[in-house]
Amino acid sequence: MFEYMQFNISPWGWELAVYFFLVGMASMSFAMVAAPNVIGGAMSVFEPLQRSTSMLVLVLLAICSVLLIMDLGQPSRFLYPLIYFHASSPLSWGSLFFVLFGICVVGFLSAQIMGKSSLLKPLGLAGTVLAVLLPLYTGWDLMAQQARELWHSPAIPLLFVVLSISSAAALVSLLAMVQGKQNENLTTLIRNILICSLLVTLILFVAEWLRISYGTAEEMQALALINSELSTRFWVITLIVGILAPLGMLLMGPSTPIMVTGAAVLSAVGAYTFRDVIIVAGQLPMSFY
Amino acid sequence: MAIGLQAEPSLGVPGKKRWAMVIDLRRCIGCMACVCADKAEYDVPLGVWRTIVKVKDTGAYPNTRRHFMPRLCNHCDNPPCVRNCPTEATYKHEDGFVLQRYERCIACRTCVAACPYNARHVLPTNRSNVKIGGVVDKCTFCNHRVEKGLVPACVQTCLGRSRIFGDLNDPASEIARLVGRHKTVVLKPEKGTAPQVYYIKPDRSITEQIFAAPESYAARSDADAFFNHNRGSRFFGGVL
Repeated sequence: MFEYMQFNISPWGWELAVYFFLVGMASMSFAMVAAPNVIGGAMSVFEPLQRSTSMLVLVLLAICSVLLIMDLGQPSRFLYPLIYFHASSPLSWGSLFFVLFGICVVGFLSAQIMGKSSLLKPLGLAGTVLAVLLPLYTGWDLMAQQARELWHSPAIPLLFVVLSISSAAALVSLLAMVQGKQNENLTTLIRNILICSLLVTLILFVAEWLRISYGTAEEMQALALINSELSTRFWVITLIVGILAPLGMLLMGPSTPIMVTGAAVLSAVGAYTFRDVIIVAGQLPMSFY
Repeated sequence: MAIGLQAEPSLGVPGKKRWAMVIDLRRCIGCMACVCADKAEYDVPLGVWRTIVKVKDTGAYPNTRRHFMPRLCNHCDNPPCVRNCPTEATYKHEDGFVLQRYERCIACRTCVAACPYNARHVLPTNRSNVKIGGVVDKCTFCNHRVEKGLVPACVQTCLGRSRIFGDLNDPASEIARLVGRHKTVVLKPEKGTAPQVYYIKPDRSITEQIFAAPESYAARSDADAFFNHNRGSRFFGGVL
């Protein structure tokens, strides 16, 4: 006869992985370029990039909005998470953070264009807080799912914030290169930020791998998937290309703009595949339950 | 502590109802009448189910056994789908039902991800008779029947009286007697969801089953056909 009566389609696909990546990249890019107004000091090297990065962040937010709305079964109801706000749902908070962050970025950019420098600090500060909350909520969205054991870890929100810092460094670095605004101080700062974020990513990578290696039956099924059909994405693209190679380039190579930008781009590739693997491997063990 | 619920857990709370179901697997013959009754009651479209009966064969000839495992929404006393829903489209009724408001659902599938029992599905949009589509749906314990003093459709039709429904908070009810006198099992109790579908004598091989590639040719073919029908994807992307 048959062994199973039903097969379940996993609820979240590539749209969510791309959204998590883009929204994290956009939010942390804004946090970086708002830092001259929020923190000042060494962060002032980001000042020449403020306007162009803020514009690019708005473009990324627009792409994220389209991805989110089109992923819904009822796209016309996209405002419902705000209208019928549910405080225990990460998605409701995410919708709120997303809208408020967009308002902050528009406000920050407008204040810059209109020369209202007194508004830059409060808007930058509010935007920075929301910029941290946005990737944090994407991780919380997974962590809150107690049914999916790979996701149900407090490390996931922290990991998503750190991955967002790496991808933001790539975006800002690329933008500086395209605009010819790179200088030694900027390169050194991005290099130091990247080294920190990549080291934390490596620690969390090993920690998560150990957790599931010593884990429950479902976590071991996830590990089996990671070691089989997701092995290239996890071990090659995420670990080697996305973490070890850029770390090696930054620690051992010359601290040139091209080298730092190259390392940043590789780390951004890893930041995407890491999320992608977590999203996919977290869902498939339940497909036949 | 339960958070994000519209009604507090009512199991064992005096003066409150806690509707629940017992499934006595010693009596299930795998006739699928419950599945059909449910399809008829709600015009459930092809490809999705509110209730199913999983079938698994164990052992090698001549020492074999076929196991039936009726599955449905567990109407948890602490449902993770409810607290994760961003619009409160899915909510907990004070009598224990976990219900769905179609007019609020945005089909973000957070509830599908949150459910440990795979009890939720998305209704297709191209339905011929019923206009409700593109939203998440699930078993309701037939609350429209229960409120009129009837039992759910699957319970009504069950040939062997394998499915028994009632108020677990009422000590005189049949279901309270069954849960009190028999060794019962709930699915995934470690998730803290307090599921309210109690099984009598289930087999370990079918309660613990997680990801495993189907073994038989027929099961593999079924799986391939299922995923191909859904545009070759194991994910919702492109299906809605």
